[in-house]
Amino acid sequence: MAPRHVVFELAESADVTRLSDYERAGGYESLRKALAMEPAQVIEELLASGLRGRGGAGFPMGRKASFLPKPDQTPKPIYLAVNADESEPGTFKDREIMLRVPHQVIEGILISSYAIQARAAFVYIRGEYLTEYEVLRTALEEALDRGLVGANILGSGYSVTIVLHRGAGAYICGEETGLLESLEGKRGQPRTKPPFPAIAGLYAAPTLINNVETLATVPRILALGGENYAKLGVENSSGTRVFSLSGNVARPGNYELELGMSLRDLIVGIGGGVPGGRQLKAVIPGGSSTPVLTADELDTRLDFDSMARAGTMLGSGAVIVIDDRCCMVQLALRVAQFYRHESCGKCTPCREGTRWMVEIIRRIEQGAAGQGELDLLLNVCDRILGRCLCPLGDAAAMPVASYVAKFRSEFQRHIDEGGCPFRGTSSLEGVLAPVDEHHARARARIEVPA
Amino acid sequence: MSAPPEQVTITIDDRSVSVPKGTGLVESALQAGIEIPVFCYEPRLGPPLGACRMCLVEIEGLPKLQAACTLSAQDGMVVRTSATSAQAADGQEGVLEFILLNHPLDCPDCDKGGECPLQDLTLRYGPGTSRMVVQKRTFDKPIPISPLIALDRERCILCYRCTRFSEQVAEDGQLVALNRGASSIIATFEDEPYRAHFSGNVIDLCPVGALTSTVYRFRARPWEIQNVPTVCAMCPVGCNVWATTREGKVARVLARNHPEVDGGWLCDKGRFAHDHLRAADRLTEPIRRIRMRGLVAVPWEEALDAADEGLRAAGASVCVAFSGGETVEQADALSRLVRQGLGADVALLPDDPDPALDAFRAPLAAIRSANVCLVVGDEPVLERAPIVDLWLRAARRGGAEVVTVGPAGAIAAPPGSAAAICAALAASSPPEELRELARDLREADRVALVWSGDDDTGGRHLAGLAAALELGEGSGAYFLPRTPNGRGVAQAWRAAGDGRGIDPSGDEALGALIVSGDEALRDTRVVALADRARFVLTTAMFMNEAAGQSHVILPGTGYLERDGTVVNLEGRSQRLRRTVEPPGWDELAFFAQLARRFGVDVDPWTRAGVDELAALPARSGTAPVVAAPAARGPQRAAGAGGDFELVRYRALFSGAAVERVPQLAFQRPAAEVELPGGDASRLHIATGERVVLRSGEVSRELAARVNRRLAPGVARVAEEHADGLADSVRIEKA
Repeated sequence: MAPRHVVFELAESADVTRLSDYERAGGYESLRKALAMEPAQVIEELLASGLRGRGGAGFPMGRKASFLPKPDQTPKPIYLAVNADESEPGTFKDREIMLRVPHQVIEGILISSYAIQARAAFVYIRGEYLTEYEVLRTALEEALDRGLVGANILGSGYSVTIVLHRGAGAYICGEETGLLESLEGKRGQPRTKPPFPAIAGLYAAPTLINNVETLATVPRILALGGENYAKLGVENSSGTRVFSLSGNVARPGNYELELGMSLRDLIVGIGGGVPGGRQLKAVIPGGSSTPVLTADELDTRLDFDSMARAGTMLGSGAVIVIDDRCCMVQLALRVAQFYRHESCGKCTPCREGTRWMVEIIRRIEQGAAGQGELDLLLNVCDRILGRCLCPLGDAAAMPVASYVAKFRSEFQRHIDEGGCPFRGTSSLEGVLAPVDEHHARARARIEVPA
Repeated sequence: MSAPPEQVTITIDDRSVSVPKGTGLVESALQAGIEIPVFCYEPRLGPPLGACRMCLVEIEGLPKLQAACTLSAQDGMVVRTSATSAQAADGQEGVLEFILLNHPLDCPDCDKGGECPLQDLTLRYGPGTSRMVVQKRTFDKPIPISPLIALDRERCILCYRCTRFSEQVAEDGQLVALNRGASSIIATFEDEPYRAHFSGNVIDLCPVGALTSTVYRFRARPWEIQNVPTVCAMCPVGCNVWATTREGKVARVLARNHPEVDGGWLCDKGRFAHDHLRAADRLTEPIRRIRMRGLVAVPWEEALDAADEGLRAAGASVCVAFSGGETVEQADALSRLVRQGLGADVALLPDDPDPALDAFRAPLAAIRSANVCLVVGDEPVLERAPIVDLWLRAARRGGAEVVTVGPAGAIAAPPGSAAAICAALAASSPPEELRELARDLREADRVALVWSGDDDTGGRHLAGLAAALELGEGSGAYFLPRTPNGRGVAQAWRAAGDGRGIDPSGDEALGALIVSGDEALRDTRVVALADRARFVLTTAMFMNEAAGQSHVILPGTGYLERDGTVVNLEGRSQRLRRTVEPPGWDELAFFAQLARRFGVDVDPWTRAGVDELAALPARSGTAPVVAAPAARGPQRAAGAGGDFELVRYRALFSGAAVERVPQLAFQRPAAEVELPGGDASRLHIATGERVVLRSGEVSRELAARVNRRLAPGVARVAEEHADGLADSVRIEKA
């Protein structure tokens, strides 16, 4: 059975990056449909669809939209913020969505803006996504020329401005309140909640924040009808998701699947399994911040509830396959280094804890750690978990603690044997986290030929 | 008044406490006698940050520990702190362990050691041992971020109190955080020195020894010092302070929160100028001018005799010049000596505020909750009464409309036009440019009016406006005097006599002139009077100020050496406490003795000045005083060609005391003239370029600074750089 596509459906048989092609494929019909409805009806459709946020937390989008005050209930303008700051390691779905169906993203923004009666929508796009930014900008210009964006859209009387804003390379700006701070021109650091963005978000005004994939799904929901969309997938996890499959797998890439298929279906059935006759060792199911699953847990289903039961999360839908060549301590080091580098420095447990984690894991990997340090590492993780201002600290502590929990003997061998048992053969050997690689390069000497 | 807020009841560590709805958890716990430890939480800095996580508590029904500082009391809430929750205790210990990971344990030679929140909280909530075996983070240290403040980035625990102060309270935007994560550091913007009027507050705010005072650094240990509660008498605000002494010397001055006056902030003049007490030219014994020998140090009794003799020879032809820094008791003694003992009746008062405004008194803190604030006058509020500027900023952040009308105001008005502005705003049909403001003032529930200019009649004009607006409860009108206790001195002078007088403005010889204080010595009118006087009796702290024309010089005292009463701009009487011993007799002792020789009984012991002042007579119509420098009348700025109307202001960082503190030199006003944007571009003058100001024969060369807020045709210069220039100047490129 061919997988059912929703997000990429219109792009399946044609290039729909141009406005005319997108319209020929049925694009912007959902916008027309929405504009003919009451805003509250649009939110009803979203509620009926059961669509949950595709950024990582999985909060039902319709409910989030319903938290915002109506225009007559607030003296402030209402805003939509689009999270296109896709930065979770292993995740590369939003970039493909922006590249292949840019108009669908814009259409989704317009419909959602209409639903909450936003005055402006701000797209916060990851700084490194230059091509994606240019594609989106071209699409936006086309839409502007056609009167689909701006004043009095399609004669409906509704007006909204869309602003594209490029980030400058900080993972934390993908956290919703960090994103808002950065949009306001401040240092990208998360805010304490409450107040929630739905009440006081961008410029202290009510703000809805949604991920690119979530918004790109919205026009399709209006086309299908919320209840029909809800029939896709499984209970509590309706619809489809675009999974980013990467790592030691034969056919990596983005795959849109109905929710509820198993990891085995994705990795073995679609991805072709681990190549070269090697064994699958572990799977990171939802981006680098999610707890790891072992080869024994390959039948876990790709939906919110199944993942939660397995002690992990669907996260951003980034499935990273790890084969038996990988040293889990080196993996922990790389992951911890990433989060240490990306910790914003605002709250204590994350700022200090992530640095300490890296130091301990490095000592374990080098064989310099004492017997107590594995438990110390777990305790440090415990003291980060649930105690930070935003989820970044958890994002560092959860996966590392899971590596220790599920591969404890491998960590223990590093300590007992005074070094890495892979003896230099690990697939991550010498592969440093980007930040440390950067420092290593900076130290390199430039040889000048005589 | 609105109805009292709804009460809610919460349970903290099994204790039930009832608080008004909306009260923060930290404050609620305090009411129940329970401490929730904090580092970053400081309500005066704005909304809670929730960064340090020291305040983690368990809240029934919530799975994770919560930062108590970010929550407010909700009815029925059950809170457990480290005292009754193992989870909360682990959370707090964990946070302290994280903080201490990279904190150098150099407490023995840290200035904060002994009065350090990190030490205290570690003792109460922290781990007993360290589990960290790897290298601590290191930085270059200490880094001077200004001549006044040293930054130790290793000690910094990144609570962001200092940057929040800079950004959200003083709004100078100079302190920033750089880098990310464990590499985050505090720095000044672009590494420029932190030059701002309130910079020293970040030292008070720092919960560790990361920001220390270069003036106090390594000068004392907390267990060797005494903190004396007193009041700053450096400007008319009268901030409450702690004066720290060690071995009989003032080592530092700290803010002491008076919520109605200063909100716990203190400007750098109040904080750092105290070292003037130890200036090289500080007078410690009486000096007498003796024919053929010049100025000679003499015993106190001899000085007393000489003063007695000089004044007796003058008869009633005596004038006294006050500096406005005297205590009420000193001014009273001197006034009674002059008016009752000598029968003279002329004083030079630096300030003579109009009591008409007393009907509209309100605490300074009322400014913060005003809906509309109006500032009139030619002088910058920040330079004249700096804390008032902070209250105005707080008001604006809170949503108030803050409008300045003047030469540098949002609504431009020519110099000297403040009285006309008040009258126009009070009129039934104000001119076009003031109409919206007048409407807002009338419609507002709470209004704050501020007069910031050199015109003693300001109070009357402001009172006229206040009456027209029918200001009621919650509103206030404030006149900012020039000098710290100008208001109290004027009151003391008026209370001491009945109003006969001679005209000091003539040019006939004067029998004697009494100059009280260094600041009075700088008044050009005093210098002119001294030329006419046969005998000049001076009290002064500094030899270089007093030497010129005096016949007898008495060593003066600084405010930290005095007991007595000062009256601030609100009209609030506050008590000065002697922090350190003066070098000799204080003025009060001397003038009490002198007065007794003229048959006036003055109590040399400080009396309860407050009671004295309460019974002050109203001002009579024929005031026998020479008031502050004449206010300039409304003038229409010229602007044409290179002609400018010159506005001069008295910089906060000026005067005899500031000049004697080398660390404050960088805070003094630069030798520059501010020019309006339009005029500057017309004359092709850019910021930093040298320009010459001319009036008559006098010329001054200064650097230009373009200030787009200045009204066209107005140029502004700090008083000390405008010496000799007239009110109208011609400006051209040098």
